[in-house]
Amino acid sequence: MTPLKEFTPYAPRAATLVRKETLSDYVTLFEFNQDNGRPLAHKPGQFIQVSVYGVGEAPFSISSRPKAGSNSFEIAVRKIGAVTTALHNLEAGDKVGIRGPFGSSFPVQEFVGKDTIFVAGGLGYIPLRSLLRYQLRHRDEFGRIIVMIGCRSPEERIFINEIEDLAGRNDVEVLETVDCSNDSWTGNVGVITTLLPKVELDVENTYVAMVGPPIMYKFVIGSCVSDQCISPDRIYVSLERKMKCGLGKCGHCQINGISACVDGPVFRYTDIDLLKEAL
Amino acid sequence: MAAYIVYQEQLPGLLKLWARRYGVHVPVDTGNGLYDFSPWSENTVIAWDYDVTVNPLKRYLLPPREELITFDLTDYSAKGVFEAPRQLLFGVHPYDLNAIAQMDQLMEAGSPDRNYLNRRENTVIFAMEPMRVAENSFWPSMGGGRSDIGFDLFWTRIGPATFFVEVGSKTGEDLLMAGGELPSASAPQHDAARRQREKIRESSDLSSLNVPWEELPKILSKSWNSPIWRERSTMCLACGSCNLVCPTCYCFDIKEEVDESLKTGRRWREWDACMLPSFALVAGGHNFRSRAAERYRHRYFRKGKYIYDLIGELGCVGCGRCIKACTARIANPLAVYNQLSEEAAR
Ligand SMILES: Cc1cc2nc3c(=O)[nH]c(=O)nc-3n(C[C@H](O)[C@H](O)[C@H](O)COP(=O)(O)OP(=O)(O)OC[C@H]3O[C@@H](n4cnc5c(N)ncnc54)[C@H](O)[C@@H]3O)c2cc1C
Ligand code: SF4
Ligand code: SF4
Ligand code: FES
Repeated sequence: MTPLKEFTPYAPRAATLVRKETLSDYVTLFEFNQDNGRPLAHKPGQFIQVSVYGVGEAPFSISSRPKAGSNSFEIAVRKIGAVTTALHNLEAGDKVGIRGPFGSSFPVQEFVGKDTIFVAGGLGYIPLRSLLRYQLRHRDEFGRIIVMIGCRSPEERIFINEIEDLAGRNDVEVLETVDCSNDSWTGNVGVITTLLPKVELDVENTYVAMVGPPIMYKFVIGSCVSDQCISPDRIYVSLERKMKCGLGKCGHCQINGISACVDGPVFRYTDIDLLKEAL
Repeated sequence: MAAYIVYQEQLPGLLKLWARRYGVHVPVDTGNGLYDFSPWSENTVIAWDYDVTVNPLKRYLLPPREELITFDLTDYSAKGVFEAPRQLLFGVHPYDLNAIAQMDQLMEAGSPDRNYLNRRENTVIFAMEPMRVAENSFWPSMGGGRSDIGFDLFWTRIGPATFFVEVGSKTGEDLLMAGGELPSASAPQHDAARRQREKIRESSDLSSLNVPWEELPKILSKSWNSPIWRERSTMCLACGSCNLVCPTCYCFDIKEEVDESLKTGRRWREWDACMLPSFALVAGGHNFRSRAAERYRHRYFRKGKYIYDLIGELGCVGCGRCIKACTARIANPLAVYNQLSEEAAR
């Protein structure tokens, strides 16, 4: 009888909370250090499973850029249920369990030398931030960086200071909008598709990286492809599903015949165009 | 492959020898014409002629509840838990063998599932040719008539007390010879085994798929919008029974609890079911398959197309367990696939 093999991808490893930053009423940024001292070694767009023992485990996008030589990484979490509330209750020094990184990523190398439009609906900025910060870190390798952000209301904006800093740079174009305004908001009002016609694009040379609520994708892809003439094979989206194992086994994240946890969460649009359950 | 002859009177002795090294599980009659696998002991009556068991055999490889890790809240360390009893399943029908072989492939693929694979490595499988076909079974037409892989021994009864036993692995052969050398099967005995198999296939021809099974994935790709999904699923009770009894369903949920000490705890997986409304429900109330018709359709697509796209075999082996388990009488793959093939031909 062969001896049992005892490696398990189900066992999380410890990470310690080093910093918490309130981003909005419900969203908080968490910076963790991996206790094993190693870098997370993720690629932009990937996610990890975060455990608060006794409460459960949930998937979150890694929001920081990959940092060689540093064991720190960031996630930003909306308080909505059991695990997310438990995370919000943590204080610096507390620990969580993490598994991963899991899943596919934005093809960074393909974007080199090209322009990128980031389309972030609501919390979609959280996963896109990893790619964005990577590109900013290696700024001269990339063409134009155009960041489009849409929120339901001004109160739901996150990373406000960071986005103001971005808007102040002359090598990044930032466009923001809110669906419904109030008096405090002097910017654009309207859904995120209203931002697209505002920029002149070199469509042959432009990639789209988009994350947002399910409803947003069809509209944005529609106007990117038909109005802007961006080729569908240069559009990348990240899709969320219920996830448990993160390993392509438990079946929860299935989109037709594929698994969002291993085949995604980042997909080239042309690869999922025909999947009825994708968008 | 080598084949030997074993007489029924030799079996009690052999079973006793095997039971020293393995937990041996055999089919038994549980009353009312129902059958199930049960641990063997000396006074167990083996139901040689069982048609199908109520429960699939997946519970030996993917238990309804299986611990995955234990964790320590004081330092957030976690350790894998592996339990893999040495077990021998005696009397596994070909369709269940196919289902296990499928799960082997899917659990091995990508990130290998060590909990499953460790159990599988410690499991010996003695397959057996059925002597009768269950009323609801349709495995011969699903390509599930015979499996050439995944067994250690394959038993076919060719006489009232005579078994023709094919060897599938060294482990199987060693176990067969545990009580001493056995005679090799003669050419007429090979023939007898083949005839026995053909007879069984023929007796199930009445309930069968009306197209070759290889056509199903193509038929399904044209059937996304078929009215059948809504029509049939209106009666669905969302009970998940069809998933639970299916030998090829392996989706699971993950749960955990903290011990009384509040310092340690455990995380386990347990069977889940894509027919349950909560299966694709996420925080905030969004459900990726909120309607019964969508869940119902997903199940048939998974069996008839998605698994096929991955491994080239149908994810339904035609055991018919779901047909019997569904009190709403709608979980009938044969009826669904036949209706779809008629729609596609129109
Ligand atoms: C790839 C991916 C990346 C994500 N990134 C982020 C992020 O960066 N920030 C953020 O705030 N949220 C993110 N989410 C959503 C986040 O996982 C859910 O909000 C979270 O699971 C809710 O857990 P809960 O225990 O607080 O909620 P509960 O409602 O108590 O959760 C119950 C169960 O449902 C599952 N579940 C609930 N909602 C989701 C969901 N949306 N996706 C997957 N499983 C869910 C969980 O596995 C959990 O076990 C991401 C989801 C995915 C799939
Ligand atoms: S779908 Fe039904 S008939 Fe097919 S393998 Fe599963 S339980 Fe058996
Ligand atoms: S067994 Fe029947 S009623 Fe229950 S979930 Fe399956 S199809 Fe629906
Ligand atoms: S999360 Fe389990 S299969 Fe994707």
